[in-house]
Amino acid sequence: MNKIKSSTLLKTLSYIFLFLGLIIILIPFYLTIITAFKSSQESSLNFFAFPHSLYWDNFLGVFKKANYFMYFKNSAIITVTSVCFILLFIPMCAYGIARNMKEKYYNFIYVYLLAGIFVPFQVIMVPLVKYLSKLGMTNIPGLIIMHITLASSQGVFLLVNYIRTIPRDMEEAAAIDGCTTFKAYYKIVVPLMKPMLATILVMNALWVWNDFQMPLLILNQSPDIWTLPLFQFNFKSQYTYDYNMAFASYLIAMVPVMIVYASAQKYIVSGLTQGAVKS
Amino acid sequence: MQEGKSVRNHRKIRKSSKVMFLFTLPTVVLYTTFFIITMMVGVYYSFTNWNGISKKYKMVGLKNYITVLSDKRFGKAMGFNIIYTILLVAFVVLISLLIAMALNKVTRLSTLFRSVFFIPAVISMVTVGLIWNELFYRAVPFLGQLLGIGWLQTSLLGNPKTAMFAILIVNLWQGCAIPTVLFLAGLQSVPSDLLESAMIDGANSWQRFRSVTIPYLIPVLNMVVITQVKSGLTVFDYIKVMTNGGPGQSTEAIGLLIFRHAINEGKFSRSVAESMILFLIVGIVSAVTLRFTSKKQVGE
Repeated sequence: MNKIKSSTLLKTLSYIFLFLGLIIILIPFYLTIITAFKSSQESSLNFFAFPHSLYWDNFLGVFKKANYFMYFKNSAIITVTSVCFILLFIPMCAYGIARNMKEKYYNFIYVYLLAGIFVPFQVIMVPLVKYLSKLGMTNIPGLIIMHITLASSQGVFLLVNYIRTIPRDMEEAAAIDGCTTFKAYYKIVVPLMKPMLATILVMNALWVWNDFQMPLLILNQSPDIWTLPLFQFNFKSQYTYDYNMAFASYLIAMVPVMIVYASAQKYIVSGLTQGAVKS
Repeated sequence: MQEGKSVRNHRKIRKSSKVMFLFTLPTVVLYTTFFIITMMVGVYYSFTNWNGISKKYKMVGLKNYITVLSDKRFGKAMGFNIIYTILLVAFVVLISLLIAMALNKVTRLSTLFRSVFFIPAVISMVTVGLIWNELFYRAVPFLGQLLGIGWLQTSLLGNPKTAMFAILIVNLWQGCAIPTVLFLAGLQSVPSDLLESAMIDGANSWQRFRSVTIPYLIPVLNMVVITQVKSGLTVFDYIKVMTNGGPGQSTEAIGLLIFRHAINEGKFSRSVAESMILFLIVGIVSAVTLRFTSKKQVGE
């Protein structure tokens, strides 16, 4: 009897705790949405109240004063291109390493690539700017190349360990039947790697889309090539007086990711957590 | 016949290993050109007195490192990062473990809780920082007035004493999402028959938690600690967006100091030396935490 009581008590406490958490997580979203739909007079009357009517001028202001669609396009191009190349190059490299671990070259490049995991971005941040500008690469292609480069350590690590759990039998059988190495990789190994490729896709797509430090260093000098996070950062410093419009800009910037999260939640949660477990 | 086949196989193997080599090439070339060389360029500049702009500079040996290590501003930034990291690790572990345990207890609405608690993980730190920045100015002081708490009535970000905690709150709001899912998976990996038999043996819930559940959580705990240590020592986005190091220099973390020295203050070579010291610290701390946490696991 006592035990049952204490277990219901624990359950009730859990619910109270979780609801509290829910409120803490949701309040910033609630305030962002209502403030984005209010005029500044209405907000100054009561910051927390629900808007009387939907006030769209903030959004119009954001679209008019800043070229939101251009920043969206820049972010989209950078994310899609980076992720495509990440999914092309890194699995190939990991496959080569995983199947030839005993050879000196592959063993060396495995350790060589893994070493990058321990280097925080801030270590290369400063020389990177000088180096890229010397190469004339402080532009969108330069940023894409840096994303591919910085994704390689973790990607190779995750994929090499995954490929080693896939038996070689099928590739060997295919090779005896006259299948080329590339075809065996493409037709047999890639389909078997799909779960891990999904993890890599999710992790890197979110990282590239949300990245701030690298665009700040590489792209900040010319507004035409800003990404969405850069746009938000700069927009805020330009329009500090109009915070309703600022909130509208945060809301618009969140919408794409939220749509993706709502439609592929399962993959995103498992992708992000698996990536964290194994790095 | 036999010989011919083996020759053909040899040829195939040689061809295959050539393809395998080509497979690794793009990644290795990119990594070498844009990561390793960049780092070596950094090491080189850290021994010069280049300001980032001038045409001429000369080698100065270890002078930059000596300057950095005796620099009060660097010491202060380091202190900020150390305190921030300790608080971040402690609170992330505590909060996400509590949420995970609560989630593990409830059945109804658990999907809703889980999807909502994970949302912060997908939004950019910039958006989160900017939203909270406004909330600290407009919403939190109102709460302070309502509750009659004096120190809440002005923005936490505007006060040098509380600014770090304001940044920490924002970091926790976003940073607990992934650890929570990890801890929940850890809790669900505890075999229920083990818990039941402990219950039959008369262990109370605390004893069960300590001797049955915790050993199963240690791998997750290790990982959460390591990732949070790294993120605490390299915190940048929130600070750049919310306080830009201020008020005064009270929230000037190492990452921001490096950025400022390099980009705004023309102390290029010195900032590179700072980043090399940061590298060393992150490396040592990661190695120590890895050692410490893996020992604990064996000890269990």
